[in-house]
Amino acid sequence: MSTTTTAASSIANEIQQEVMERKPFSIVAFLKNRWFLYAISLTAFFALWKYVDYTRVLGNGIAAPEKVVVAIYRLMIDTVAGKSLWGHTWASLNRILIGFAIASSIAVPLGILMALNRYVNAVVKPVFDLIKPMPPFAWISCAILWFGIDEPSKIFIIVVGTFVPCLLNSYMGIRLIEPQLYDVVRMLGGSRRDEILQVGFPAAFPAIFAGLQISLSIAWTCVLSAELVSARSGLGFIIIQGMQLARPDFVLAGMVVLAFWAWATTLIVTYLEKFLCPWKRETSLA
Amino acid sequence: MNATVEAAENRRVKIEVKDLTKSFGNLLVLDDISFNVAQGEFLSIVGPTGCGKTTFLNALSKLIPTTKGNIFIDGEEANPKKHNISFVFQEPTCMPWRTVRDNVAYGMEVKGFSKARLEERLRYILDLVGLTTTADLYPNQVSSSMEQRIAVARAFAVDPDLLLMDEPYGQLDVKLRYYLEDELVSLWKALKSTVIFVTHNIEEAVYVAERILVLSNKPTKIKAEVKVDLPRPRSLIDPKFVEIRKQVTELIRWW
Repeated sequence: MSTTTTAASSIANEIQQEVMERKPFSIVAFLKNRWFLYAISLTAFFALWKYVDYTRVLGNGIAAPEKVVVAIYRLMIDTVAGKSLWGHTWASLNRILIGFAIASSIAVPLGILMALNRYVNAVVKPVFDLIKPMPPFAWISCAILWFGIDEPSKIFIIVVGTFVPCLLNSYMGIRLIEPQLYDVVRMLGGSRRDEILQVGFPAAFPAIFAGLQISLSIAWTCVLSAELVSARSGLGFIIIQGMQLARPDFVLAGMVVLAFWAWATTLIVTYLEKFLCPWKRETSLA
Repeated sequence: MNATVEAAENRRVKIEVKDLTKSFGNLLVLDDISFNVAQGEFLSIVGPTGCGKTTFLNALSKLIPTTKGNIFIDGEEANPKKHNISFVFQEPTCMPWRTVRDNVAYGMEVKGFSKARLEERLRYILDLVGLTTTADLYPNQVSSSMEQRIAVARAFAVDPDLLLMDEPYGQLDVKLRYYLEDELVSLWKALKSTVIFVTHNIEEAVYVAERILVLSNKPTKIKAEVKVDLPRPRSLIDPKFVEIRKQVTELIRWW
């Protein structure tokens, strides 16, 4: 009997493995190389930027790439409205973290609850559907009227903007679970509690994380919008300052730093997901 | 080998299905089905396509309520919370977030096996199905046929009173299916479980089962019972095997 099982396992144990094909070096292969093409693409982009600045087609509305780098350096050392670039970055980041924390800690449990209980769903869904299509930026006037021009109004915009994807993704994450996985729990005699804790949560985890990730990038859009309208600090404030002082290098510097942090924070969530959901590891090369 | 088959008649009745009826509205799917399964018996159920095999199994496993009739395990009404009913579904149903090892262990966890007993049995089962070397992989790293073997191992691991299998190997290619059928038979012999194996593949049914129940078209009744009194390992070209296969085929085609 042991021989039959060994035979079966050696034949039937099919494992998915990554295999990298090595090709000999050639000029054509080099020209088709992904990294080479990336380099071409980026070089062309910066060359075009530099050219536009050189020919002054946009007048004084643009600064050359190297001027932007200098501006970033200057902003790090000097202060604008009493804060260096670090201070302004932290101001924006702080708003995002508070708003994002509030929104996700309410929206994720609510979305899960809506998916698990149809009465909660029936009560919450109509109101949610009413508010859902409204762009978060549309709330800005209300926010200023209600909360003034200080921090709470900016945080409110972030909460409103990130609430929707957080809730939708956790709701869908639970709803789209294969019903057969619940059957596995039920046929083994598990309770409703087992179904939710042992299948519902882990199965919805990737979807919830996707929602958090989308929310985070929306949060950056929201904080920028709010800061453009009224602020004395933040990366949006630097951009507005640059515009009012006719300093395109400051504007672009603000934009670059903003893009960097938006990317960096999303990356953190991606790695957090990889750490918390090890089963989602990729089986093929990107 | 023959000794175990002959003993089937003398073994005590483990499962009693009495007047099992299921209708969805006016549509009668299962019509008054009654039969017994002996302790440790391997019973196959075959029937024409769409005869309600899956409904039949779902009713047996208590995943759906029955309209009339009941299932008794050891003389008591079957109850998934109390009895140990295990199910292998048509589609692989591994939990993607658990490793192969933890998937096989899952049933035992739900059933509340003690840690020591779980560990010991887990090692034994993984070894029996040859999954020890791949125990730390996640389901998305193995093939779908392996996922099905994990589900089979999980089902056997809980030491079920009744193990129901719903065409578990329907999606696999012929060669792999032969291996897995052999594996299934050796698992059954090693663990002495009571198995009801539903399939539309007649050859498969004759290959694995001690007894075959042939179902009719809807509304489903038991049309015939065929004993498969062949020694194991069975040969697909043994004249007796072919004869039984033809007999079952005729029974299904007869309508």
